[in-house]
Amino acid sequence: MADHMHTVPEEALKELPPAHKALGKLGRALLARFPVWPIVDFLRNKKVPEHRHAAWYMMGGLALFFFAIQVFTGILLMVYYRPAEPWQSVQRIVMEVPYGNLMRSIHHWSANLMILTLFLHMFSAYFMKAYRAPREGTWLVGLALLGLCMAFGFSGYLLPWDDLSFFATNVGLTEMEKAPGLGPWLASLLRGGPAVTTDTIGRFYVLHVVVLPLAVLGLIGMHLLFVQIQGMSEPDSFAALPACQKKHKKFFFDYFASEIPVWLAAFALLVALSAIWPRALEAEADPFGAAPLGIKPEWYFLAQYQALKLFPGKLEYAGMALMGIVPLLCALVPFFDRAVPSDRRGTWIERAGVALLVGFVVLTVWGWIS
Amino acid sequence: MTDSNTTRREGDGGRRRFLGGLGLLSMAWAGGLLYPVYRYLAPTIPKDPFDAEGKAPVEGVKAEDIAQPGQGRNAGFAGGGLVVFRTPEGELRALSSKCTHAGCNVEFQGGSIHCHCHGGVYDLEGKNVSGPPPKPLTRYRVAEQGGLLYVYRPDKA
Repeated sequence: MADHMHTVPEEALKELPPAHKALGKLGRALLARFPVWPIVDFLRNKKVPEHRHAAWYMMGGLALFFFAIQVFTGILLMVYYRPAEPWQSVQRIVMEVPYGNLMRSIHHWSANLMILTLFLHMFSAYFMKAYRAPREGTWLVGLALLGLCMAFGFSGYLLPWDDLSFFATNVGLTEMEKAPGLGPWLASLLRGGPAVTTDTIGRFYVLHVVVLPLAVLGLIGMHLLFVQIQGMSEPDSFAALPACQKKHKKFFFDYFASEIPVWLAAFALLVALSAIWPRALEAEADPFGAAPLGIKPEWYFLAQYQALKLFPGKLEYAGMALMGIVPLLCALVPFFDRAVPSDRRGTWIERAGVALLVGFVVLTVWGWIS
Repeated sequence: MTDSNTTRREGDGGRRRFLGGLGLLSMAWAGGLLYPVYRYLAPTIPKDPFDAEGKAPVEGVKAEDIAQPGQGRNAGFAGGGLVVFRTPEGELRALSSKCTHAGCNVEFQGGSIHCHCHGGVYDLEGKNVSGPPPKPLTRYRVAEQGGLLYVYRPDKA
């Protein structure tokens, strides 16, 4: 062996297929050139606790699957989308481009399912208390990812430039404008002027296809790396078991393999939803026209929408403060929870979580039917 | 021993001062680089939509479209959206169409003005009468000249 080649570790040799097989030969050749066995070993360390709530662990991977679909369909949509003639180019995707309507509808439904999955992922991590020390960082990065994904939804919503997107953007930016501090400045910077125009599209487009994807990819990397380094959190009931009763599944590739059928089912659901309820394109935005009757935001903004209606006049600021305080409290939870099973704070955190979940669902349904 | 310690401390102080200065300089340099980037991104101040006399043409509606009492339209001028209408008494009025609640465009509905986004209602004076809007709509003086409509700068109204 030449002196600039590396020795393949004993451990690796045991794991690799025999040297006379093609894969074994390739593995040895690669490890002799790139001494990455410690990295492989590091990745193989991840194991998933097995218990009756373990199904919730699927949510993170499922969200990542939907994100991959978003990247793929997003790239396809960019081929025909023109920020200078937004509505016309989306109409072309929908009416003329073969399977254009399907691609756009998948992008729409996958966004919705991704946000739904992220909510489930967040609430399951919350109730299993996975945010506790030492995993505060994973929790905070996760919250930031949820925020960025909602920003994805908000920025993407404007791009078709139809009636719905125009007024949804107007409402969002007007609310931002009313926020104290940097609100007005940030709203004007995003809007690119005093009113929502095609100038706003340029800004939202760049955010949607470049800035947010880079930020999200970076944060997903951090999130996964944290989980990899710290291992998966074990809920109290599982952690209390004697070591001999704790069952784990190796992530690579036992658990990963069990995720694949779930992803395939999710994909089937996605295509079915897109085929049965394709995303409509409303009339082109008319900046001077009246907002159409029955206009409503996407379901994940319905709770805020309903809250906006419930706090009239000067009380509006109370509603906005409430909306600002919820994410802040979520971020502070790991520092409030002392992670002692008998501590009363744990009970309060559970109750607050149930209240938040119920409040969110009630406001969403109320906004939906009103 | 003492001498060398003192020397080192003085040396450290000098290095610290130098690094501090370098840090400040780098921040000034970064600021200088970021300023053009910020100005590039910041929206430019829009042109004054009103002319020297303080008036601006209304787009999207002509006087003949709203000749009868109770008729109204969504329209706009360079400074933003408008609802232009005639009251049941026949008076011509123009209000900003931007709902003071969340910025949707309101709609003239004969006896009142509605916003469909969150259910705000204004009277024909532009006053918020029900629903979430916190303030009245801005009112513009409006006049007809040769079949076209013009609005006037609010402070000159």
